[in-house]
Amino acid sequence: MLNTEVKNMKDMKNTVIETKDLWKKYRGRAAVENLNLNISKGEIYGFLGPNGAGKTTTIRMLLGLITPTSGSIEIFGQDLRKNKLQILRKIGSLVESPSYYGHLSAVDNLEVIRRILDVSKSRIPEVLDIVSLTGEEKRPVKGFSLGMKQRLGIAAALLGSPELLILDEPTNGLDPSGIQEIRSLIKRLPLEQGITVLVSSHLLSEIEQMADTVGIIRQGQLIYQDTITNLQQQAAGEMRLHVSDPIVALNLAGHCGYDGALREDKLIFSRMNDARVALLVKELVENGHSVYRVEEHRQSLEDFFLQVIGGGEA
Amino acid sequence: MSMGSFWRICASERLKMSKSYIWLLVILSPAIAILPGALSIRDGEEVTWGLLLSVMSVVHGLLFLPVLSGIFAALICRYEHQDGGWKLLLSLPVTRMKVYLSKYVMIIALLGVVQLLFLVCLLGMGWIRDAAAPVPWSILLFSVFGGWIACLPLAALQLAVSQGWSSFGAPLALNVSLTIPNILIANSATYGPYYPWVQPSLAMTPNGQDGFGAFNLPLDSLMIVVLGSLIVFLVAGLFFFWRKAV
Ligand SMILES: Nc1ncnc2c1ncn2[C@@H]1O[C@H](COP(=O)(O)OP(=O)(O)OP(=O)(O)O)[C@@H](O)[C@H]1O
Ligand SMILES: [Mg+2]
Repeated sequence: MLNTEVKNMKDMKNTVIETKDLWKKYRGRAAVENLNLNISKGEIYGFLGPNGAGKTTTIRMLLGLITPTSGSIEIFGQDLRKNKLQILRKIGSLVESPSYYGHLSAVDNLEVIRRILDVSKSRIPEVLDIVSLTGEEKRPVKGFSLGMKQRLGIAAALLGSPELLILDEPTNGLDPSGIQEIRSLIKRLPLEQGITVLVSSHLLSEIEQMADTVGIIRQGQLIYQDTITNLQQQAAGEMRLHVSDPIVALNLAGHCGYDGALREDKLIFSRMNDARVALLVKELVENGHSVYRVEEHRQSLEDFFLQVIGGGEA
Repeated sequence: MSMGSFWRICASERLKMSKSYIWLLVILSPAIAILPGALSIRDGEEVTWGLLLSVMSVVHGLLFLPVLSGIFAALICRYEHQDGGWKLLLSLPVTRMKVYLSKYVMIIALLGVVQLLFLVCLLGMGWIRDAAAPVPWSILLFSVFGGWIACLPLAALQLAVSQGWSSFGAPLALNVSLTIPNILIANSATYGPYYPWVQPSLAMTPNGQDGFGAFNLPLDSLMIVVLGSLIVFLVAGLFFFWRKAV
């Protein structure tokens, strides 16, 4: 009874990937620690973290390439351990460096996969066109450049018309125009075909330009998971006020419901809208303070990211 | 549905294999066997099928069949090890069991083709050298088929080793070092029947008096050594492949 209720709620939220307390340990050392991912249908989920954070390890667990030390994985509402084939049939993936058969041409590489997926032969020219590899399809792939191999990998991921695309650093090795192309392709997929995308990267700027939701992983732990809009807001910066008598002023502001701090004789508040700034200034002036300067200090998203991922060491 | 997906994996394996140089190796040993077949001379005596079979199968059975079992296994795993093939393949909707068995089927199919070509070379040689009629079909077929059966456990072991070691040379070195003792063991009545690597040779060599119409291997040796090692090697290989981290 309760179980079906939970299922219904999931359907409403349309959760595509849900991991619960997922762990992967290598010789006692955790590569992924207590990970609770939650990815909804039709969104682009940016999986962000520095080198060695555990992104690839997580993705390999999602694809059943390695088994978790503990915890569970549900994809499309099904347990990965029990329904692996049905789940994998609906996933297209690209893990770490591009995978290919060097002695085969691009078309034959895709044909190898097509025979297993049992999709129509016409999908091959279609996906080659999507990643702009038309014209190169007859050459052995071992002669391809890294970027071309990467494109082939993305073509292979798209071949089975997946509902979920898992791409591990897909723009690795691509030139700027290639990055732009792949980025716009990734952004198009959810809109046009309702595909859900999990894309990992160690570059915030990349995730920021593509993702709807971002999960930040550091040393195997998910330390942030929210929409990109909220992330931008949190990173938006602070207000700094120079006033005649900072200590008393801070006290007064506190009474009026403004949570602030004192730094270098300045009052520091988190970012607020114009009306609240005006109200605060009015309050201070009416109580005899001189307000010399009101500054907005913007922190870049990159700074915020570094601050978040640096949190453990600080 | 279940069997269909297995054949689809096999079709995919065939394509991966077809564009490699594996085919040259298939022809190699039967072609080499032509030499002793052509050169064996018995003054004044008539060329017999038994003579041709025994001279042509010596190097083929003693050396090439066991070594080829290892080379085919290593080649069929090589393109998976090289550029992320395993993770490409295993993130598709396939079970590891079917992937593993399809690879095994490819290896033993290649060995089957080798044996058929050997038979063709043997028949051709008999025809050219005007061997005494009639063709002793049952002896020839049992020799060729028995040699193939005796290769099955070797192929299973080599596949188990090759899927685990990403190096191409290491499984081959192991294979060759297990095959070399054949030279000594083949003539040993005590150890011969129990050494898996010598079974292809024993199975293929015509057995003088009582080899007619039966496997050239004594039946209990075939059952215990060949089938026993086949099951052990295949199950062990599957077990490790099942747990393989990709
Ligand atoms: N097979 C393994 N054996 C031991 N440790 C491993 C293994 N695979 C991964 N690790 C460790 O797990 C941690 C996470 O690695 P992972 O490859 O998931 O990082 P990542 O986030 O993908 O990094 P990158 O941005 O460099 O690709 C690393 O510390 C790595 O050393
Ligand atoms: Mg990685």
